[in-house]
Amino acid sequence: MNRLNHLDTLKIRPDESVTIEYLGKPFQGAAGDTIATLLYGGGVRIFGRSLKYHRPRGLYSLNGECSNTLMAVDGEPNVRGETTEARNGMVVEPQNVKGDPARDLMGFMDKLSPVLPAGFYYKMFHKPASLWPKAIKGIRKAAGLGKISPHFTMKGSFDEIYLNADVCVIGGGPAGMAAALAASQAGLRVILLESRPWLGGFFDYRPGLYDRGRSLADRVETDPNIRVFTRTSVIGSYTDNLITAFCRGDGSDAFDERYLEIRAKSVVTSTGCIERPLLFAHNERPGVMQISCAHRLIRTWGILPGTSAVFSIGDDLGLEAALDLADLGMEIQCVADVREDGQNEALADRLAEKGIPLFRGWVAAASDGDPKVKRVSLTAINGVRSREFECDLIVAGAGQTPVTGPLTLAGAKQRFDRRTGFFLPVDLPRKMHAAGRMLGYIDPDAIEASGDLAGVKAAADCNGADDSKIREAEERLGDLQGPARGTKFIIGPVKTGKTFICFDEDTTVKNVDQAIAGGFDVPELIKRFTAAGTGPGQGGIPGHNLPLYVGLTGQSPDLDPRPTTVRPPLTPTLIAAYAGSNHDMSKRTPMHEEQVKAGGRMERVGVWHRARRFGDDAAAAAEIENVRNNVGILDASTLGKFRIFGPDVLKALDRVYVGSMSRVKSDRMLYSAMCNEDGCIIDDGVLVKRGENDYYFTTSTGRAGSSAEWIRYHTRYENWDFHIVNLTDAFGVINLAGPNARKTLEKVADADLSNDAFPFMGYREFSIKEIPVRAMRLGFVGELSFELHVASSWMPALWKIIEEAGAEFGIRHFGLEAQNVLRMEKGHLIIGSESEQRTTLHDVGLGFLWHKEKREADTVGAAALRHTENQEGRLKLVGIEAQDPQQTPRDGSIIVDEKIRGYVATARYSRTLEKSVGMALVESELADIGTQLEIFEGEKDDERLAATVVPMPFYDPEGRRLRM
Amino acid sequence: MALTITCPICGARNGYEFRYGGEEKGPKPDEAALRSPEAWCDYIHFNRCKAGAQEEWWFHRDGCGAWFTIHRDTVTNREIPGKEAGI
Repeated sequence: MNRLNHLDTLKIRPDESVTIEYLGKPFQGAAGDTIATLLYGGGVRIFGRSLKYHRPRGLYSLNGECSNTLMAVDGEPNVRGETTEARNGMVVEPQNVKGDPARDLMGFMDKLSPVLPAGFYYKMFHKPASLWPKAIKGIRKAAGLGKISPHFTMKGSFDEIYLNADVCVIGGGPAGMAAALAASQAGLRVILLESRPWLGGFFDYRPGLYDRGRSLADRVETDPNIRVFTRTSVIGSYTDNLITAFCRGDGSDAFDERYLEIRAKSVVTSTGCIERPLLFAHNERPGVMQISCAHRLIRTWGILPGTSAVFSIGDDLGLEAALDLADLGMEIQCVADVREDGQNEALADRLAEKGIPLFRGWVAAASDGDPKVKRVSLTAINGVRSREFECDLIVAGAGQTPVTGPLTLAGAKQRFDRRTGFFLPVDLPRKMHAAGRMLGYIDPDAIEASGDLAGVKAAADCNGADDSKIREAEERLGDLQGPARGTKFIIGPVKTGKTFICFDEDTTVKNVDQAIAGGFDVPELIKRFTAAGTGPGQGGIPGHNLPLYVGLTGQSPDLDPRPTTVRPPLTPTLIAAYAGSNHDMSKRTPMHEEQVKAGGRMERVGVWHRARRFGDDAAAAAEIENVRNNVGILDASTLGKFRIFGPDVLKALDRVYVGSMSRVKSDRMLYSAMCNEDGCIIDDGVLVKRGENDYYFTTSTGRAGSSAEWIRYHTRYENWDFHIVNLTDAFGVINLAGPNARKTLEKVADADLSNDAFPFMGYREFSIKEIPVRAMRLGFVGELSFELHVASSWMPALWKIIEEAGAEFGIRHFGLEAQNVLRMEKGHLIIGSESEQRTTLHDVGLGFLWHKEKREADTVGAAALRHTENQEGRLKLVGIEAQDPQQTPRDGSIIVDEKIRGYVATARYSRTLEKSVGMALVESELADIGTQLEIFEGEKDDERLAATVVPMPFYDPEGRRLRM
Repeated sequence: MALTITCPICGARNGYEFRYGGEEKGPKPDEAALRSPEAWCDYIHFNRCKAGAQEEWWFHRDGCGAWFTIHRDTVTNREIPGKEAGI
């Protein structure tokens, strides 16, 4: 490994080696290397092929601004090689190439470019339409970046944290660190986010400023008020200072990526600048790189970026880099500077001392060489003179681009500033501040002072305004050098070759001209048509150049250049990071373990785990038969259970239930339903009166979470005096059903359970072996049954007592599948199964529950119930019987003639009846008994099942069994 | 997603904790006044969808369970401070 290990600015640990596999060969680097720097250090110059033309692409930036170094790592596509740290054993493959990217077999695509203008695919495959399905296969093969296998499973661990802070600082460069320190000094809790693995930003690779950056970082890192997150990129920024970000693990962290959501009282954005790419012919050929890329490569990673370089730059940072690289042993042939004058003369003098020619008012016009740079031609910007140089590296930059994403996402506007050439953030959202280089400051003192000012302002947001402190900080900044003049937008005068404005999408300046000629005259439209800036670099390469170029052509209706819109995520983010650790927020009933032990096949029903069946038989035939002939026991603890009480309770109940709730008597249950304002049924359940103005009611499992909210919402104007207590988790429910249910319960209960003493629909409270229970005689499954409500902690004990008592009567568990068949045979409906969002109380035949002339007549949904009472053309719930008992229609299959006329809600083969029966929602014209229906399951095109509308219930129509 | 809402009982909290309950339209008219489908539809389904300050209902689902109104600027998606929240 050939590195400049003596540099004090290095961020690698040269004595700790890291080995990765690339194209089947091992490559060695040092701990701290990114994948891209490790490979670059190992001699790799061509990292991949471009999206459309398959042009070779090399290392251009080190910040992930383009897709050049996207690679597949351990099967995961589109990993950003520039910002992903290399780890031992990584298997890295290039993308969009056949074989080695240096000799890509698809390279001929580049030669086809004259027939592939902007919008080619949009225009080409319109007609004939039949061409597209064929063409799409070829295009998909040839174009695109990473490939993902349909069987790919994301590895790694992902989680999320939610943080609160007084001040959140985005960007850990000098301005951000100064802001964090200022806020901390005001006694505030600060969060500092930095995307690189270290703090320092603009200072950390520059010889004169490194120590200064390091000492700032030391102060920040040891400050107890500041929590620093490195390797953390901001994704989004929202109203009221909500900042989202993700943090990459450092290898020893418990996570691979972590999603952060930060709510801060005040935010400082000090995200600095990225480089504006220089536009010239073949400006993306491997061997062309940004100034900071070349500079960081040598200073941070100790890698000489080449042997002989030509610089084409536009600001003093370019001069400084040329000098530093020359000092460290690179041959610099010359520096072309687009500025005629205005250079820092001290730097110019030092270049002269070293014998490096400085061409003022010159710019790179074209690079040459295949596949890597061999030659560059420079030209005076007036095009009069030009010269050629043999070189293997072109360091090119056209100036700086401020990174304003976090501000504009939160609502700041951008205004073009003629002095800096920046789109400066204006109209910042309240309690949001900008600082540092993004505002145009280039002087190190001014950068820090602007950070300090932002920190003081942020502190004022939290602690109350302190004008004198803000004024002092403003004065300190005012005494220093103001925003620097930016670099003019210049394109070398060349006629031939491709000048890329966007690398990710292979968009050239010519494509932009084609778009403008096609009538797209603003950057936002040109971006859509040419795809410039829509790639994985999130506009890092074309974001600034595109509006400047469009502004320059004079075609744009805007007087000032107008930038395109920035949207989240600001940095490409794994879906896995958003998904996080995927907590399964589920609930178990008190009988969960016992049911599992008994062979229960548990499944998720809403938030609950419930037993679908016990044993292997999917039809649960034995369970069904046992309920019909002996006795079965079901865990129904998921039912919603509520206490509602208070002087105005009846008014509230009458408001939400369709029935008249004052009719409930203390020893009997009342069955009723709730509708929404559309008259559509949303819930049903029973209500019992336990005392004066004190009621207990049940809701369906799915409504348990929202019933209290619903009742309070519909009584929100009245200030009625009542209270609701959700007892869903506090009580468990045992449903004991079957002809032997009474015999079982009589053995253990301390009450008379005879049919006279405790009739159907009766409610009693008694004890079973001293366990207090609330007992209801219901018949959901169509047999004699008792529903026992008992405190959750008593559930296992009560369950065991009943199981033991029922042993001699053949008691056994039954699950949801058995219950579903049993209740369907009885014609009892489940809201959500036999109803949908548009199904009214009338449609399911429960209109009789509605009490039209209640004292408090404004029942929720009453108006709609009146409107729909005799409405034509609605879907009605009917019973159906399949013609062939062996062919049971599937739940959800549609009922058709010429068109869709309804659908099957639930249908099963009934062993009890030896028929296939079910319930269906059909158009009212088809609802008459005896109507023939055709059911289409979508299996075979023509095949339809025949069924007949029959009366319900199918089982025990007189209802004798549940009244036994 | 970034909205902060001031619950009259719990104070300013993250908007995630709340459920939206629609714009404030005043108490529902009597059923008799909603006998015509047009009047019913007007009250139940039509909203003003105001761009600007709007009074609206929120439910503190992951908190105290209260329904209350706030004033929110629908353009900036910010709660308007200073306006008295009502239960």
